[in-house]
Amino acid sequence: MKFAYFPGCKIPFELEEYGRSFKAIMKKLGVDLIDLPFNCCGYPSRSKSLEISVLSSIRNLALAQKNGLDIITPCKCCFGQFKHAIYFWNNHIDLRIKIDAILKKEGLAWTGETQIKHLLSFLHDDLGLRELKQKITRPFSNKKIAVQYGCHALRPFSVTGFDDPHAPRIFEALVNITGFKIVEWSKSTECCGNPIYETNKKLSLKILESKLKAASETGAAYICNACTHCQIQYNVMDMEQNLKKFNIIPVLFTQILGISMGLSRKDLGININL
Amino acid sequence: MIQTALQIAISLSIIGFLYQLFSFTRKNKTFENRKWLANGLNIIPFFLNTFLQTKLFSAGKIRWMIHFLVASGFIYLVLIHALDDVTSFYFFQYYQPTVDPFQFLRNLAGGFVLAGCLGFLYRRVTLFKVLYKRKIHLKGLVSILLILLLILSGFLLEAVKIISEPVFMEMVEEYSNLEDDTDLEDLKIYWEKHYNVVFDDTLIITKEKLALGKDLNEEYCIACHSPVKSAFMSNSISRALKKTSVWLNRYRADNFVYYIHYFLSLLILVTLPFSRLFHIFLIPFASLEKNFKKELLSLKKGYINTATLYACTNCGFCSDVCSVLPNYLVTKNIHTLPHSKIEAFKQLMHHSPFEPAALFLLQSGNEDCTCCHKCTDICPSGIDLQNLWVVLEQKLALKGFQNNYTYIDSKSLKEWTGLAPEKEKIPSSRKVTTNLADNVDSFENCIQCTICSNVCPIVEYDLVGNDFTPHQVLNLLRLGNKHLAAGTCMVWNCLTCFSCQENCPQGIRVADIMLELRNNGNLRADAMKIENFTNKKAD
Repeated sequence: MKFAYFPGCKIPFELEEYGRSFKAIMKKLGVDLIDLPFNCCGYPSRSKSLEISVLSSIRNLALAQKNGLDIITPCKCCFGQFKHAIYFWNNHIDLRIKIDAILKKEGLAWTGETQIKHLLSFLHDDLGLRELKQKITRPFSNKKIAVQYGCHALRPFSVTGFDDPHAPRIFEALVNITGFKIVEWSKSTECCGNPIYETNKKLSLKILESKLKAASETGAAYICNACTHCQIQYNVMDMEQNLKKFNIIPVLFTQILGISMGLSRKDLGININL
Repeated sequence: MIQTALQIAISLSIIGFLYQLFSFTRKNKTFENRKWLANGLNIIPFFLNTFLQTKLFSAGKIRWMIHFLVASGFIYLVLIHALDDVTSFYFFQYYQPTVDPFQFLRNLAGGFVLAGCLGFLYRRVTLFKVLYKRKIHLKGLVSILLILLLILSGFLLEAVKIISEPVFMEMVEEYSNLEDDTDLEDLKIYWEKHYNVVFDDTLIITKEKLALGKDLNEEYCIACHSPVKSAFMSNSISRALKKTSVWLNRYRADNFVYYIHYFLSLLILVTLPFSRLFHIFLIPFASLEKNFKKELLSLKKGYINTATLYACTNCGFCSDVCSVLPNYLVTKNIHTLPHSKIEAFKQLMHHSPFEPAALFLLQSGNEDCTCCHKCTDICPSGIDLQNLWVVLEQKLALKGFQNNYTYIDSKSLKEWTGLAPEKEKIPSSRKVTTNLADNVDSFENCIQCTICSNVCPIVEYDLVGNDFTPHQVLNLLRLGNKHLAAGTCMVWNCLTCFSCQENCPQGIRVADIMLELRNNGNLRADAMKIENFTNKKAD
């Protein structure tokens, strides 16, 4: 299998370990990742202008189409933005005309061929749990983990089509096969607070703190993320020294999957106690 | 005279160097958060980037090759040719400018620089075939042209010397003890054939005379003067000049060209601290310091080091890879792209008058930056660009240019809704919206059941700080008060988690409406900012 790898803006610098561990497990699963000269997905610009955000996504899709590849991304915000852009491109003719005109100037065009996949939907739907289970050589045992779903992939279902927005199960099913014991917690599908971190830091951290509290009450030792922005948000909390209070460690799904597949800690960029 | 000129040029150059150092330190002082080597030293990459231009190599192979031609050729010419009194004569006992391999290597190096400079010029001509607006920087162009002229004058000088009879006669006088006129004639015949000298008097070439001339050449000349064939560039020029040789020789063109060549090199030396060539010193300096750490990004804390800004050579690699190029394609605000932001930054530090409208555009462009670090990774000069954008944001905020979130927060309700409708000039490029807030169909089904407000995390955690809740915002729309709705804290604090939209029993796109209101609010805030500048100007 072959995909165009879309790391988004945050992975290469701010969350390098996510990109590294993602590439490591994809290599182990025999998936080829191609780097294309992508631009931003458009998610950060969506409060500024609809047109910018949709153009950004469609430009990436057009680039992938030119190379005959589908896009895979480990970030849920990027994934959600791509899905939104496709939705707007399909439903707003005015917008589509403008965007197609801009793309035409650089010899690009998107005709709707490119598929966009998130890491989790790829593992669950395309690869299949049974296939993935065979790769697990060192499952974890007796460790409690809470999963953080991430809003932008989950909602609105009519646009993203990722999982049941009220009772999601993909993520849990995938974490399950690594041997972790999943805890039920009330805020698994709630927002982590990252979107307003830049503008309203206090409120953003308050939201995160309440989530950590809810997770720690269930006895979880880890909180599992499969989204760049969620992980960055939990890391920020780590820096603010509040995480210790709840005794909870944020981990990336690719890292726990990688370890249970027998990959080395160095390949996965792990510097925490797992 | 030449000696004095050289001394003056060197002193001027040193003064310029010191002046630049002084001005960099002074500019540094205007920043509170200045700190040199805040992130530590970068030893190995420093050597690699300085001597092999490794960052340029990974950015673009062809550009590296062209740059390498110029750099290697120029360094050779400076060290072995220009400074031969102190280097070559000292290190090579048999060194003479006219002896092989030096004669050949000088031509080769000159050829390298010439080819490279032509490559530089070619890129500047075709520069405009990129998606964004670029301009040719005078500084770079002047430096290229100066070097080009220097090299061409060097070739011309050698060519004029080759064909010159007076120069030949001077050499005969200095290095030989020929007394016989026939001997001189034999040597002339040999030199006309093998050294391309053009003589006034017609010489009759015979085999014997040529053989005699060869013997004389071996006796007096060959040790210091290889045949001009190896000076392949100048030799071909001299062939082209042959027809004008009488005229050139009569007026001693070689002296004239020599002065041009010499003074051009002095000019380059004097202007070095102020020209693009100064990057030879600034790039190693910029590469020496480690880049901005990611931990500083969330703390919004950058450190500025002014001298590194001037290491920028306007190569444009940063904008080629910039993640937010689509933002430029829509807004046409060139300050979105790093190559333009760094120029603006330099201008800001000069305290040169900056139009508020231009600062507004700079702020608006800079806030689009997603901190992807691509520009910093690719920058061949090793400038810590990501750090600059963080500092730029702080700097602009201090000048009163903040993001729209803070701006709207600081405006009273009266000010916010009071903007006259005709003032709200919406740039046509940003007019496209989801068209929900103006379209009654999209929210008229709202039954004010408050489910959206009940699932909203913002409402849950910030009851005190928030003014309206989502269902109240929708009610504002039903009352036809779109502008008031666009200024509410709810709209600007919205996490876009889409819980409201997913849970709405009436299928209203609540979060999409929030985003559209925020788009509108951004346009309105921009319009208000622009109006403020124009009002101030009128006062």
